[in-house]
Amino acid sequence: MKLQQLRVSQFRQFREPLSIDGFGAGINLICGPNESGKSTLVRAIRAAFFERHSSGTLGDLRPWGDSGAAPEVELVFTHAGKQWQLSKRFLQRKRCDLTVEGERFSGDEAEDKLAAMLGFTVATRGASKAEHWGIPGLLWIEQGMGQELGEAVTHAGDHLKSVLGASLGEMTSSDGDEITRQVRSRLEELLTGGGKPRGDYKASIERLAALGSDLRELDQRIISYRQQVDRLGELRQQQASDEAERPWQTLRAQQQEAEQKQAEVTLLADQQQREMQELEQNRNSRQMVLDQLRAHDEQSEDLQQRQSKAQQLLGQLERLSAQHAELAATRDTALAAYQQAREQERKAHQLARRQTLEREQQQLLRQQQQYQTSVAQARQLQSDLLEQQQRLAAIRVDDTQFARLEALQTQLRELNIRQQSIATRLRFELLPDQQMSVGGELVNCTGESLLLQETWIEIAGVGQLTITPGGQDLGELVRQIERGQEQLQALLDELQVVSLDAAREQLELGRTLNTAILTNRRLQAGHAPEGIDALTQQLTVGKTRLSELEQELHGLPTLAEEQLPPINIAEQALEQAAGRLQQAEKATGEHNETLIKLRQNVASADEECRLLQARLDDPQRRQQQLQLNDSLLALRADQTRLEQLTQERAARIANARPDILEQDIQRYSASAAQLEQTFNQRREELIALQARLQSEGADGLEENRAKLAAELESESRRHQQLESRANALNLLHGLLSEKRQQLTRQLQAPLQKHLDHYLQLLFPQARLEVDENLLPGRLIRHGQEADEFDALSFGSREQMGLISRLAYADLLREVGRPTLIILDDALVHSDQPRLEQMKRILFDAAQRHQVLLFSCHPDKWRDMGVPAREMEGLKVTATGS
Amino acid sequence: MPRFLHTADWQIGRQYDRFGPEDGPALTQARLTTVERIAALGAELAVDAVLVAGDIFDAQTISDRTVRRLFMALQAFNGPWIMLPGNHDAALAESIWTRARRLNAVPDNVHLLLTPEVSLFAEQGFAVLPAPLTQRHTFNDLTEWFDHASTPPELLRIGIAHGSVQGILAEDIDSPNPIDPQRAERARLDYLALGDWHGCRQISNRIWYSGTPEQDRFKSNGAGQLMDVRIDAPGAEPQVTPIAIGEFPWLQWQRRLSVASDLDALIEELDSIERSSVINLTLEGELDLAGEQRLQTALGRAQAQHRVLEYHLAELRLIPTDEDIAALQADGYLGEVVNQLRDLQQADDHDTAREALGILSSLLRERHAGGTPA
Repeated sequence: MKLQQLRVSQFRQFREPLSIDGFGAGINLICGPNESGKSTLVRAIRAAFFERHSSGTLGDLRPWGDSGAAPEVELVFTHAGKQWQLSKRFLQRKRCDLTVEGERFSGDEAEDKLAAMLGFTVATRGASKAEHWGIPGLLWIEQGMGQELGEAVTHAGDHLKSVLGASLGEMTSSDGDEITRQVRSRLEELLTGGGKPRGDYKASIERLAALGSDLRELDQRIISYRQQVDRLGELRQQQASDEAERPWQTLRAQQQEAEQKQAEVTLLADQQQREMQELEQNRNSRQMVLDQLRAHDEQSEDLQQRQSKAQQLLGQLERLSAQHAELAATRDTALAAYQQAREQERKAHQLARRQTLEREQQQLLRQQQQYQTSVAQARQLQSDLLEQQQRLAAIRVDDTQFARLEALQTQLRELNIRQQSIATRLRFELLPDQQMSVGGELVNCTGESLLLQETWIEIAGVGQLTITPGGQDLGELVRQIERGQEQLQALLDELQVVSLDAAREQLELGRTLNTAILTNRRLQAGHAPEGIDALTQQLTVGKTRLSELEQELHGLPTLAEEQLPPINIAEQALEQAAGRLQQAEKATGEHNETLIKLRQNVASADEECRLLQARLDDPQRRQQQLQLNDSLLALRADQTRLEQLTQERAARIANARPDILEQDIQRYSASAAQLEQTFNQRREELIALQARLQSEGADGLEENRAKLAAELESESRRHQQLESRANALNLLHGLLSEKRQQLTRQLQAPLQKHLDHYLQLLFPQARLEVDENLLPGRLIRHGQEADEFDALSFGSREQMGLISRLAYADLLREVGRPTLIILDDALVHSDQPRLEQMKRILFDAAQRHQVLLFSCHPDKWRDMGVPAREMEGLKVTATGS
Repeated sequence: MPRFLHTADWQIGRQYDRFGPEDGPALTQARLTTVERIAALGAELAVDAVLVAGDIFDAQTISDRTVRRLFMALQAFNGPWIMLPGNHDAALAESIWTRARRLNAVPDNVHLLLTPEVSLFAEQGFAVLPAPLTQRHTFNDLTEWFDHASTPPELLRIGIAHGSVQGILAEDIDSPNPIDPQRAERARLDYLALGDWHGCRQISNRIWYSGTPEQDRFKSNGAGQLMDVRIDAPGAEPQVTPIAIGEFPWLQWQRRLSVASDLDALIEELDSIERSSVINLTLEGELDLAGEQRLQTALGRAQAQHRVLEYHLAELRLIPTDEDIAALQADGYLGEVVNQLRDLQQADDHDTAREALGILSSLLRERHAGGTPA
């Protein structure tokens, strides 16, 4: 569509007619300051097309204040190779005329034809509004509205689609969207957006599951019921069979039989046990008899042994008896030797004493003579000391002597004790008026004598008994005592005391006196250190001593010195003699002892032999032996018999297997009890089962099941219907959506192509998406996040808006639609660089479309390759023409 | 001359799952009313007895109410009813029969033959030899004892049994409850009344399956009848007359629609069925949308007229013609969808495609009939 000429008169500020012609095929730049009439021209074009000529509400078209004016617009344009002329007058003398190649339309017809050709809707009443404008509304951009695209596209949508759709053949559908909506709503009744069942469909599925579960439960009950019925039948049959057969009775009979067998076996076992005991007794008896027989044999052997032993003993006794006299002689010799030695020794002692005394006497006499002269001086010594010394001199006992005395006394006492203990005691009790002589001493009545040596007892009218004391030491002991007493007496005599106690007194007195003399001497030595007194005293002492010595010597016998051995020799000889005597006595004693013992042994052996012999010779014993032999034979026979019997019986018992018999009894008994118990239990189970079945059977299980199955079947069919409906709806909806999308894509494809064409000039490699309503969607620029159209900056939206409109125009042009582009003060928000690009875009579009570009900034558009037509100039030209 | 009715397989208490909550109970009820008609027929013909050869009840656990109703349905005929347990109502340890007795529901003139022993009906002139099932299934011939059972010579020997006659029926292989086809000869029976086979079938001149008196399945030859049996004297040839007694015939049709006249024939055929029936209709072939509309109308009409009308259209394809599409005003891509659905019916999921096409066409029809085109 190419506008060639525009003429207005009585139209707003153009009270006078204004005609513009010479429009170029491409860009037509019309400039002028504000209020110069640019927008009025645009309004005029819009009015010519959109406004119903018959409308009465278009008062704004009149010049201000001129109510009688008839606004008129005339347009001449070419389209589809034809020349069109449109003439419209409003408000006064309204008319509309459209001439095409000589063909003329007028009034509503002309307006409808225009609407169909350009793609808009004529308002049925009143002024035309944006929603009526359709495609021109999209291509004719009002001042300051370049960025608002959505509404315009929406208003143009149906026209665009039908117009564009026409190029796609029969793809578009008048009812498509509505049908799709209905299908979707029906589908949504059954399925959720996610494809899950909902509503009736879901309820049906749930009910189906519930019914299925109920049915299974009922099936289970029916199965169980049937099983119970079968069980009942079985039990009844078993019960009847048991009642008829009573199998436990058979078992009880078997049990009794086994018990009987067991009793028999028990009897056998008892018998066996008895005979085994008998056998044992037999064995014991045999042993006893054998033992007795053996004892008899042993007795004979014993006698022989004893006889030979007695013989032996007798021989021994004879030998020993022969030795006796020899031993007695030896002892007597020893005794005599001893007694001689003892006499010698005693005399030797006396001699030694005498010599000692004589030597002292000699010495003392010399001393007396030597100090005789000084004695007189000594007499002057203190009388007290003298007296003390005199007294002291009377004392013979010193410590040594006393100790010796004491030792002797002790020795003697011990010997006496020993003698008392081992002496042979002779106790006698004589009849009155009877007497006897013991060791020459007459005794009568009752008494006791200790016999220390061989003693003769003479009893008148009876004879003489010689008693030799048996103790081995007794003789020696008596001798020791005699010697001890002699020694003691000698010492006592020497010390001039009668007893040990007197000696002790003397000793004590001596000690006291010594002490006193020492004291006095020390005192005396202090007064008179010279020894004259001492000498005098000594002289006196010597004199006293001499007299004493004389006295003593006088008492002693005079012995021939040469006949006596020295004392030590005498003592030694005595000692040796005592040893020999002791030996002899000991030998004699031992021999006697042995002899006595042997005699006793011989006697007892003889007695034993005699007794044994007597026993062996007993006729009763012979008889016993014979009997024993007989009973042994009898016992052996009995043993053989019993052994045979018990062996046979043991085999019989073993064959009867008493352990298994016991088990049999238990088994039969338990089985019988079990069977009977089973019978009773079964009876109870039968009653219970019957009761249960009766109540269950009345429930009509299978009938209910059939009803439930019917419900399930019905529900299942309903479910199937719903399912297939859902499937069908799903399929249908899918197909419809798919077709619709396909269509949209086909519609979008060319638009996209044109958009891309322009967009590349502004943003290389960018892409502007188009939605199914052919609205620009996201802008995807290289290296940036995608932006929604509405989120773009004001300037960008204006630019995208223009690009989109140019693309629509290209699209429309391709299907032969009129594409006049009017831009009233476009791109005022674009910066310089973008504007430069946009100008290139616009210039490119102008190669295909006529563009009317109104602007108050002519300098901005100087580089569009066309002259700017000044509004003022146009007005002048119009006025001028 | 003894005369009796021979029937069997009443299957009282049977439910018809597939026919839904409305028609199912009606068919269940129909079985009872048929029994009432049998009783009335017995009275009308003044027969000596009615023999029911097993499966009187459909199951052991039928509700007490149904049990009572069955025995009450017998009222019209006061002669002896001779009933034999079948496999569905076997004389088990606990059975519907023991329950019926417990309920005191069994009238005196009903003879339950629960044990295999001779029953004498001297007054009526015959002895009955029953072979009751005491288990659900047996694999030995329960009628064998008939051979050795003696009866008074002046009485007819009537056997009554429930099972499969060996070697005669098609489905008898390994089937339980076998019956020797020579039993009548072997046991010198005058008549052997059989049950179990739901169709009416003559095995020999003395052995009959009466079939069920009220048809209960589509495949059933001669069901819906009972036997009117007359026998002059022992040894005489029985005169057996089948009598129709059932209420609803069961029809199963399979039709192919290829050309327009096929549909006309089908509709005519449907309209020509006079008695209320149970119909199972399976259609295959092709139909245009206009034809489909006519078919639906005819099916709707038949559904109202008959007890049950089941139809299966899964194998029927809807092939819209250009006229169809024009009539639907399915322009633009809607037309394409219609074509696509038509094509999809050749594929696997043709059922869904057919239904989708149905929905689409009905939507379009509604839109152009009721609404104003936008």
